Amino acid sequence: MAALLEVSDITVRFGGLTAVDRVSFGLEPGQICALIGPNGAGKTTLFNAIAGNAVIEGGRIVFRGSEIQGLTPHEISARGIRRTFQTGGLFGHLTALENVLVGLHTEIASDFFGLLLGSRRSHQAEVAATARARDLLALMDIAALADHPADALSGGQQRMVEIVRALATNPPLLLLDEPAVGLAPAARDKLTQIIRRLARETNLGILLIEHAIELVMDVSDRVIVLNDGKKVADAPPAAVRADKAVLEAYLGHA
Amino acid sequence: MQRSASDGAARAVVSRRVLWIVPILLLPLPLLLNPYQQYVINLVLVYVPVAIGFNVVVGNLGLLAFSNVAFFGIGAYTAGILMVRLGLPWWVAVPPAALMGAVAGCAASVPALRGVRLFYLAIMTLAFGELMRWVYIRWIPVTGGSFGMALPPPDLFGWSLDSEAGKFYVFLGLVLVAIIATDRILRSRFGRAFVAIKSDELAAAAMGVPTNRYITLGFAWGGAVVGVGGAMYAALIGHLSPPAFDLTELILEFAIIMVGGLGSLVGSVIGAVIITAAPEFFHELPGYQELLFGILIVLVILFLPRGLASLLARAHPLFRDRYDRG
Repeated sequence: MAALLEVSDITVRFGGLTAVDRVSFGLEPGQICALIGPNGAGKTTLFNAIAGNAVIEGGRIVFRGSEIQGLTPHEISARGIRRTFQTGGLFGHLTALENVLVGLHTEIASDFFGLLLGSRRSHQAEVAATARARDLLALMDIAALADHPADALSGGQQRMVEIVRALATNPPLLLLDEPAVGLAPAARDKLTQIIRRLARETNLGILLIEHAIELVMDVSDRVIVLNDGKKVADAPPAAVRADKAVLEAYLGHA
Repeated sequence: MQRSASDGAARAVVSRRVLWIVPILLLPLPLLLNPYQQYVINLVLVYVPVAIGFNVVVGNLGLLAFSNVAFFGIGAYTAGILMVRLGLPWWVAVPPAALMGAVAGCAASVPALRGVRLFYLAIMTLAFGELMRWVYIRWIPVTGGSFGMALPPPDLFGWSLDSEAGKFYVFLGLVLVAIIATDRILRSRFGRAFVAIKSDELAAAAMGVPTNRYITLGFAWGGAVVGVGGAMYAALIGHLSPPAFDLTELILEFAIIMVGGLGSLVGSVIGAVIITAAPEFFHELPGYQELLFGILIVLVILFLPRGLASLLARAHPLFRDRYDRG
């Protein structure tokens, strides 16, 4: 199977600090790969590098056969890499439905002057998108939240809306940045099920940053461990649990 | 699903009706008012597009840009120059005023594209308005300099709009077009992108929104609408001079959108009505006008930080700003 994402020798530096140091890995469609490591290990920076939010100093990122390093975040999003954010990624001024509609932005065929002049085609495109956004919320059983302002939703609800928004365009790759943070146990279980279902049923590739280690062990096919910006392990969950380098990363280098 | 969809359809029909019923109710107004009162109402109508355009940039895009008075002046002077120097009729000068407002909007968006935000953006865009005032004063052969320019009476397709009543009907039409057009933009992927940029630029880009392009688009649309307001102002006052486009004017325009409600189309209209007409109600109390006016603004900002429009939105969902077509 051709790789969905191929990251080779990626380096990101902030001033004198090397946040990501020559990291390489690949991801297949339908695979769930967790990125773990202590705070400051470079997990989110690696996400930002893939999503176009961090300047890459060396290395290549190949997504579905073409290089994407140097593209802007909206171009990378349009190519099919979508992400969620650690905190506050939803648009708080908009409703849940409107958030999902922003997620559909690139797929709505209305044009500016068409809307101004009241063109039927542009109007229909907007109406159809709104119906689709409602359906997408319903698929995740959160249709009832559609018209609530995003900043009035609970943490778990916000996370679900954010995932629906990210997946609205059926992207082949999803980057989840600490999706379980702040979730109650029930919401966390639901999230685990959803992540598994998405990978299995839609062949979605998922890269997951997560501190909740049970969740990571539960859902991932593979675990990559980062420490000080370097990859120190890349193996199935059970193997990683037993890995010496991993223990060292978490317990410190005595 | 079924239910919420039909609710949405009902709401859309009601809101579309309001857009026709309110103007129709306003039609007999000139029969009831004396020319001065009619002039005040016309001035209110001038400030509706001025506020709508300003609010798109500050309220929807969420950028603290104070270039609005530049757009207003550019619209007014474009109309005035075309009428006086080229002898064009007023109505022919309205589209170029909108166009020049849009061009000015694109220019004013440049600092924001470079990542300038908040107070820095406020000061840089403020300088744009002051720069334009320098142009009005110095470009004497074209603008008439400090003395300004007297304009010929406006007309529409050859019909003279000399009377306040005539201007009223034309202005009402233009205001309606500005409201409907802006509503169509805001309730589409464009309007949602504006608000997404206000909420979280990184997340907007991650959803595929080319944020810089939309910032320029928002400024351009705002500039165009405000430019039309400028052309209306030229027709109403009949004389253009630089002091009309100074900092005091900017503060007045800012007060309109703050009192009306940031990011609310309804708020732009309410703000224009209140701020433009309120001083007239205080005429009976000479000496206290400014005081009462100031207290009114402070009270609204203190107790209704989201403007008077938020009161209406609480009272009826019709007044809530929507960004979808459900």
